[in-house]
Amino acid sequence: MNVARSKKWKEIIAKLLMWMAMLIVFGFVFSVIWTIFSKGCRVMSWDMITKLPGGGFYIGKEGGLLNAIVGSLYIVGASTVLGLIISIPVVFFMNIYLKKDSKLAYVARLAFDVLFGVPSIVYGAFGFTVMIFFGLRTSLLGGIIVITLLIIPIFIRTMDEATRNFPRDILEASFALGATRWETLKVVLRQIAPGIATATLLSIGRAIGDAASVMFTAGYTDSIPTSLSQPAATLPLAVFFQLSSPIAEVVDRAYAAALILTVIVLLLSITGRFITNKFSKNKV
Amino acid sequence: MSIEIKNLNVHIKENHILKNVNLTLPEKQITCVIGPSGCGKSTLLRTLNRLIDSTEGVRLEGEVLVDGQDIISSGAEITELRRKIGLVSQRPCPLPMSIFDNVAYGCRINKMFKKRRQLIYHVQKNLKAVGLLDEIKGRMRTPAARLSIGQQQRLCLARSLAVRPEYILADEATSALDPISSKTVEDLFVSLKDQYSIIMVTHTLRQALRIADNVVFMYLGQVIETGSANQVFNHPQQELTQKYLSGAFS
Amino acid sequence: MRNKTRIVKDKLAQGIMLTITVLAILLVAVIAVGLYLKSKPVLEESSLWTLLFSSEWRPMKGAFGFLPFIMGTVWVTLLSILIALPISLLTAIYLTEYAQPMVRKFVFPALDILAALPSVIYGVWGVLVIVPFISRHLAPHFVDFSTGYTVLAAGIVLGVMVIPLLVSLFIEIFSAVPTDLREASLALGATRWQTAKKVVLRKTVSGIIASTVLAVSRALGETIAVLMVCGCVIGIPKGVLDACYPIPALIANNYGEMLSMPFYESALMFAALILFVIVLLFNLFSRIILYRLEKSEM
Repeated sequence: MNVARSKKWKEIIAKLLMWMAMLIVFGFVFSVIWTIFSKGCRVMSWDMITKLPGGGFYIGKEGGLLNAIVGSLYIVGASTVLGLIISIPVVFFMNIYLKKDSKLAYVARLAFDVLFGVPSIVYGAFGFTVMIFFGLRTSLLGGIIVITLLIIPIFIRTMDEATRNFPRDILEASFALGATRWETLKVVLRQIAPGIATATLLSIGRAIGDAASVMFTAGYTDSIPTSLSQPAATLPLAVFFQLSSPIAEVVDRAYAAALILTVIVLLLSITGRFITNKFSKNKV
Repeated sequence: MSIEIKNLNVHIKENHILKNVNLTLPEKQITCVIGPSGCGKSTLLRTLNRLIDSTEGVRLEGEVLVDGQDIISSGAEITELRRKIGLVSQRPCPLPMSIFDNVAYGCRINKMFKKRRQLIYHVQKNLKAVGLLDEIKGRMRTPAARLSIGQQQRLCLARSLAVRPEYILADEATSALDPISSKTVEDLFVSLKDQYSIIMVTHTLRQALRIADNVVFMYLGQVIETGSANQVFNHPQQELTQKYLSGAFS
Repeated sequence: MRNKTRIVKDKLAQGIMLTITVLAILLVAVIAVGLYLKSKPVLEESSLWTLLFSSEWRPMKGAFGFLPFIMGTVWVTLLSILIALPISLLTAIYLTEYAQPMVRKFVFPALDILAALPSVIYGVWGVLVIVPFISRHLAPHFVDFSTGYTVLAAGIVLGVMVIPLLVSLFIEIFSAVPTDLREASLALGATRWQTAKKVVLRKTVSGIIASTVLAVSRALGETIAVLMVCGCVIGIPKGVLDACYPIPALIANNYGEMLSMPFYESALMFAALILFVIVLLFNLFSRIILYRLEKSEM
């Protein structure tokens, strides 16, 4: 049975290759996480989180990252709220007001998928031109606007997925009772709340980690912005700018920023998976 | 050359699907497995060629002897077993390739021919055996999905025959077809029974009446009665069988 | 009367939602037009041909030849896909065709982590792990000296970044292949690997291509991580151990001084426009194919 044997060998080789591929993936995950944690934990301290950098971020030996932490929180918080306000109506409109095979819904989904694929550097460049057009300088406001644009497609795509699987029966039950579509929204909203939550977590993760777009629009500064028109520091840029500094203490700040960023993103990701798992369990 | 099942138990997760099945399936005959839906007919078929393995949480106990070799014990070569036992499923399932490639698929997988000419001849022979060759003249290279559903089912049969099986399992092979194609496929099975041992799951009693040599009646995972068609249909021994045949439940 | 207000409310909501939706869709066009208007000056100054195929880059003299950057982008992107594609395909096949639920429970979170990590973190990892590895262990076998900041480093980092995207897309399209089809093949005596190769992969060729194009477009635009490890030397790379300077890195690196030179800003915006147009076309192409596949499944 030569054929059977050669089949068996090919199967074994294929399996080995697949195991190797997965091992490589795990290797990458481990390597990245270990690098960030081993470098970051060594330099992490209370001062990092609570103090502003002293004497300029490129050269200052003293101080911490408070400017970047607060800057990131401002930008992410504001753009998440704005993103939700804009995305939820769009998702409802596509799923409840429009029919399933509507042309507009098709075009809209395509547009958001395309926007989702647009690189953040392009958003940054575009945001920059818009700001120049309106005579704005790099500022907190600019950062918020660009990050909002960046996360809207993520919001819409993720929520759309949750809403699309929404059972039509429930909608029809509501319509059958004489409710208008607008009133039916309340029913839907409660049902897809977990979907909204995951979408929000995903968007926050993306928003907090994006560097290329805020580089153009939010700028960087050593202090905490007190108005929308002042520039703001962000965590990813704190990593990026400080990593190339010749001064060890400044590089340490980059490692610390990377650690903070990674921990935040990991927490968001774990929570997201938790919600999805729980949600899908309830559904089955 | 026969299939002998001894004390077969199949569990899927917490469910006991097949309970202590003992059966001998005679060769070169049509054996029809009948019974209400959910009684374990399909599971029985899927156990015979071990397709059941891909079901999540499945546990097999007992013995299934194919030509005297137990296929449940792990040493058995599954792919060779599956070649030997063809399957025609409920709905025709052409592979995403041309008509020719569909029939040639199994031959290529099992490296049956060295020369292309032999392969072409073999494919044509099997398409002819199911009466498709004339119908699809000149369309051998078109996608199989373009055939009508009845033709697709015959193609699937030709595909199974092409790997030279000894047994053919048919899982309600005519239930998705229109009456005319259904009749064609049914006649095909009858004409094939002097070359192959055919085990057929069906829930239309009339079909079993028409073509069965032997009948196995199953209920809730157990084999209730088995015997020649004449015996089971005309003189059922068990009360359950009588009830089922008279249409008391289905 | 009360009914009327309800209906008016409904219609009003519809109007507002329609407006927001249309505006959001129009964003695609607005970005394109905005970038085009900005890049108009440099387009009027030199021909499109010169911009795309000249390798002379002297912003001070107004010479903007993008070829080195375009080639840098092409090298890095192709290399990253070359690395990510086999790993992702094998992983996705294993997860859909072989894996027990237990295995999935371990692999999915790992992929989640890869997908969630920000670009800049990959950059740090690249600088601390990949770059030294190349300059100390790999490059000495082939060249006299390398800083490690190379096409290879950028390709590896980028490859790791697109793996989660590719795997999740592949898993989606492989799972859509009906089980009947797999069983039809298995029942003929095919092994799992033969089934995966000849039935599953064959059935999903268009989906695999579409997903790969999507991953390419993601890799094209990736900025910070690439910027940190690519070396940023202007010139057409001749091999994977050369430094390179992809378009996104160019834009990000020079935004600070771009207002100081005539046409410089316009040239950089033109670079952004190139990126946008390519990514737009790639995305349209692959999304439309993926939609069709999704529909044919239903």
